[in-house]
Amino acid sequence: MISTGNDIVALDLTDQERTCRYRFYSRILTAGEVALYDGFVDGSSGRGSNERLAFSSFVWLMWSIKESVYKYVSRSNPQLVFAPLKIPVSRVIIRDNYYEGVYYEGTVRHEMATLYSRSFHQDGRIMTVLSEERDFSLTRWGVHAIGDSEYSSQVAKVRMFALHSLSAVFPGAALRIVKTPDGPPEVWDGERILDVPVSLAHHGRYVAWSYRLNSSSYRKSAAN
Amino acid sequence: MERRAILVELKKVLYPYTENKELLENIGENTSLVKDLKINSANLVDIIIDAEAKYNIEIDFDSAERIVTVGNCIDAISEKIS
Repeated sequence: MISTGNDIVALDLTDQERTCRYRFYSRILTAGEVALYDGFVDGSSGRGSNERLAFSSFVWLMWSIKESVYKYVSRSNPQLVFAPLKIPVSRVIIRDNYYEGVYYEGTVRHEMATLYSRSFHQDGRIMTVLSEERDFSLTRWGVHAIGDSEYSSQVAKVRMFALHSLSAVFPGAALRIVKTPDGPPEVWDGERILDVPVSLAHHGRYVAWSYRLNSSSYRKSAAN
Repeated sequence: MERRAILVELKKVLYPYTENKELLENIGENTSLVKDLKINSANLVDIIIDAEAKYNIEIDFDSAERIVTVGNCIDAISEKIS
């Protein structure tokens, strides 16, 4: 399945105390996922690292992974209803590399597929992007702070940023992003739909986008 | 409690999570919380918890997972208070 999915959570808009109540987080996390927090392991060094992340932030990290999976999968299954407890995250570890900095790498088994997530916790927000490829080589993503949190502004700006990135991959194309009421967003070049799944997210003063190139558009991108 | 009465109270639950208050005033049973009211999905659990507190009920996981529209919310509440 070629798709993409992303999500962003502005932590200042969440209620940390409420998030830590069992009645709240038990609607998002299974008991096995709560145990992941207790056993958080740094993938690069093997050190225990849960001191880096408050439990409330962990809950929203998991939420953003699950929401990203939902967006990824619902592209091919539009009838799917978001049910966080039915999207099990089997593993989350901390990675730290030169290019991406520190991020959380998650693994999700959904139906027959294994999906990988990368989540970035920075400046009061958690942004997750999802891929079926562990190296994310065909997936592009971005996150931006915007000046206000009005819905119309979020919608316009997330499209603007995504199109700016896409225009580097498809120079000269008349790109636009079209969102139908019941379907995922689509990238169009003039009157032609492109085979580039795109995902958009916004929360508060943050917007985030992701798209997944196919190998031919990737070669085109690399040649430019 | 009649569905119409639940709808009136439900609007109060949804109020803090809805940017467009005019839209909220005119919701019906088919109104989608996320697609029509533009409620951020991160607030869906808040809405369930607030509704539980308002009616002193507990909405089970299966019912909660079916909540997509205003009508689904009313179903979940009326099922518990009847």
